[in-house]
Amino acid sequence: MLDRRIFREIDVLTILLMVLVSIIGIVFVYSAIYFQASQFVWRQIAFLLVSLLALLVAIMIDYKFLLSISIPLYVLMNLILMGLLLFGRVVANTRSWIVLGSFQVQPSELTKIAVILVLARIFSEYREDRMSFKAFVLSSTLVGLPAFLTALQPDLGTALTYIPILIGTYILAGIKKKYVIIILVVSLIAGVGGWNLALKDYQKKRIETLLTPNQDPRGAGYQLRQSKIAIGSGGLTGKGYHKGTQSQLRFLPARHTDFIMAVIAEEMGFLGLLVVFALYFLFLYRLFSTVWLSPDRAGVYLAFLVAMMISGQFLINVMMLVGLFPITGIPIPLLSYGGSSLLSNFLACSLVINVRMRRFAFI
Amino acid sequence: MARIYEDLSVVIRRSKVALMVLAALLLLVLIFYWKIQVLDHQKYWKMAEANRIREFPLSAPRGLILDRQKVILAENVPSFKVSLVREAVTDYDRTLEGLSQLLGLSQEDLRKRIDRYRLLPTFEPIVIKDNLKLEEVSIIEARKDEFPEIKLEVEPRRFYPFGQTGAHLIGYLQEVSVDELRTQPEKRWRAGEMVGKAGLEKQYNDQLSGRDGKVQEMVDSLGRPRAEISRTEPQPGHNLELTIDFDLQKKAEELLLGREGAIVALDPRSGDCLVWASSPSYDPNHFISRFSANEWLAIINDPGKPLENRVIRGLYSPGSTFKIVMALAALNEGVITENSTFFCSGSIEIYNKEFACWFKPGHGLLNLPEAIKNSCNVYFYQLGRRLDIDTIAAYARMMGLGQKTEVDLPGEKEGLVPSTDWKRKFLRQAWFPGETISVAIGQGPLLVTPLQMAYLTSLVASRGKKIRPHLVKSREDQPAVSRIDLPESIIEKVVEGMWRSVNNQGTGQGAYQPGFDVCGKTGSTQLISRETAERLTQRGGELKKTHSWFTGFAPRDNPEIVVTVLVEFGGMGGQTAAPIAGQIFKAYREKYVRQTDIQRD
Repeated sequence: MLDRRIFREIDVLTILLMVLVSIIGIVFVYSAIYFQASQFVWRQIAFLLVSLLALLVAIMIDYKFLLSISIPLYVLMNLILMGLLLFGRVVANTRSWIVLGSFQVQPSELTKIAVILVLARIFSEYREDRMSFKAFVLSSTLVGLPAFLTALQPDLGTALTYIPILIGTYILAGIKKKYVIIILVVSLIAGVGGWNLALKDYQKKRIETLLTPNQDPRGAGYQLRQSKIAIGSGGLTGKGYHKGTQSQLRFLPARHTDFIMAVIAEEMGFLGLLVVFALYFLFLYRLFSTVWLSPDRAGVYLAFLVAMMISGQFLINVMMLVGLFPITGIPIPLLSYGGSSLLSNFLACSLVINVRMRRFAFI
Repeated sequence: MARIYEDLSVVIRRSKVALMVLAALLLLVLIFYWKIQVLDHQKYWKMAEANRIREFPLSAPRGLILDRQKVILAENVPSFKVSLVREAVTDYDRTLEGLSQLLGLSQEDLRKRIDRYRLLPTFEPIVIKDNLKLEEVSIIEARKDEFPEIKLEVEPRRFYPFGQTGAHLIGYLQEVSVDELRTQPEKRWRAGEMVGKAGLEKQYNDQLSGRDGKVQEMVDSLGRPRAEISRTEPQPGHNLELTIDFDLQKKAEELLLGREGAIVALDPRSGDCLVWASSPSYDPNHFISRFSANEWLAIINDPGKPLENRVIRGLYSPGSTFKIVMALAALNEGVITENSTFFCSGSIEIYNKEFACWFKPGHGLLNLPEAIKNSCNVYFYQLGRRLDIDTIAAYARMMGLGQKTEVDLPGEKEGLVPSTDWKRKFLRQAWFPGETISVAIGQGPLLVTPLQMAYLTSLVASRGKKIRPHLVKSREDQPAVSRIDLPESIIEKVVEGMWRSVNNQGTGQGAYQPGFDVCGKTGSTQLISRETAERLTQRGGELKKTHSWFTGFAPRDNPEIVVTVLVEFGGMGGQTAAPIAGQIFKAYREKYVRQTDIQRD
């Protein structure tokens, strides 16, 4: 099964780009939390090596095999999420972590891979030009269930990252206009109902903050305000590595995770930001380009949904930093600090590389 | 390679559209970043600078207050204070709990104190407690990392080594009030700063306080300093050198101990005040602490009014000391000469009303010097009958009564010199000639302060030379001497009476000092309120109805010192006030007049 040709077709450029972006992330995590224990950095380096290894192992397994076990995998992951809700330990106010000794794993990140696999499996057989109602409901439910369970943890940020996957499915399967209208109506009702019933006060506050950021400088608006100050004060060329006053003096919140891009913008300026954007976009383009090279429909779905998931998170994050989106706690894949996120993103990308390297497999 | 089983062109096209939309969105986001980072850079740069740079004041040490021999009356000692920076507080309940544990204060008091300053910017530290004990300092120091919002600082703290002595003169400091902070024209004071609230500390606050320096520091998001950016050193305040002689001051306060009253002594040649005593007194050190509401109330509510500076704020009827003014007026108006005589039979009937002399048997026939010496009322009733009230008022004003002496202390009162105008204006009544008779012996609506009496005496002593009483040694020379409009020969005649009063078995003989030629005049006033009398009896003291006055100078020729003594409820002037004044003259003479002079006498 593993012939030489497959190895030759491994997408080294994508892997290099991923490692490069991850290293840029680590470099700025080091700058951002310099005053705190540097073990953050070593941890992240260790996770990067583990993730790289996991990626290399994962691409050995044919994605068609992974597709074949996708349904049990999906069921298993949802059971874990439910179990977490019932028995999970509360870490940082949410039940989103499985604690394994000194390591903590966030299953909701890995669940996204199972969701992508199961969607690819189902839609690989789907040859309609337009999405049927059945397919619409099925795909929405498959994505909605784990997203809902994650939102209950409560981890609204991660739950929101499921949405780009669902949108990707709708786009590929060709959603009809009336379903778009249904979605809008349902989300409106859910939005109003959720605002009044489900959202916690701090979550409401964050959305309100988006509308009026300067009203409460020490409260919820504080984060957005400090983020914009950091980015704006960076200017064209930045204050220099490790010289950002906003990050070094800790005015910037969550500097090493959600706000890492603000640290880069402050210290490296708009030019540095452009470089990081360009590298990231190149990486995203490599993911999208696999879609066009894919040998089968399942591969198309796999590559596109992974690309949508990662680019969606990236877009939301960079919009959030300047107030174009509510501050929801969504990290940038690969760039932000966080082991589980790094591992699951590497695994997700391994699917894309998997598809790309096996595009000639049947010849 | 045509091994593609299925047609994927539709899905691929859709994915390309999605990629283009994504690229477009990213481009829009980049434009947004461009706007913030490049176009609005200046604005955000300033905000970032404001975030990280904080200015902290460096307090300038307050100037010392010294007496004429450079004895330190007010100095600065280092003390620790702890303040709260509200912008660094993350959880008020935790902070308050911690503070109350560390400092042993109730959370409610803390909350009140913080609430008082809620209108100030949150980065300004609020002083929570000052004058910390060393063990409190070490406890806070040990736990300061737990509470980054708490600041521990050393500040110079005012200390008055002599406590009560000279308190009214020196005054005290208190924390600047919130109202003063908010209404200050330019930014002069900051929260918790101590400013002069009374006495010289208030009068000369600007000179004493110097100019605060400042330090610009880089701080982190919790307000903790990380590095110093710039520093302007504070300019220490100027020292204040007083004209007061602290040896005499101590002596005067000893003499007043247990009494309510005032002593002021000054040099008639220059206006230098040598003694400034007001009793009862208080310890100004108590006011320095920021938490002393109870002590403050106790002092305010003390019926003896220890805060009142009686030298310039005590209003008393001058009693017989006013006879000096009457004598000058009558002589200068030509109503009498020094040899004019009147007969005192112990009382006299004027305008169908009987007016008594204090000496019931009567003084018999006497001239002006004898009348002053014996303080004969009848003689001065006769003068009152011959002078109208407005003439008397004019002379009283010429001698400095009814107006401020412009001494360099805040809160001086004007007193009152009655006239027909005054009565018409304030009482809407005409002046009765009978009232003039009362005024002639210093009763009636006349009100004077002890300092005014001392100034009047100084005019007599210097034979008419005007001076301005002052407490701080002036750096420039005395301004050109001006005189009051009275010939020296007339004043000399009154001086003769005052000399006899002390040296010739007159009413002022208690002030007699061998060889020092003291001249003076006694006085007693009849006013007393019932409550005051009751309070005195409760204290167990004997009930004396009159305030006791003595005002005089020495020596007769080229006088060097004027002493005015007022003892509330001291009885007859000769009984209490004159002997006290005698002690001051004695102390002065022993210190300043050369030993050889004394031996020669």
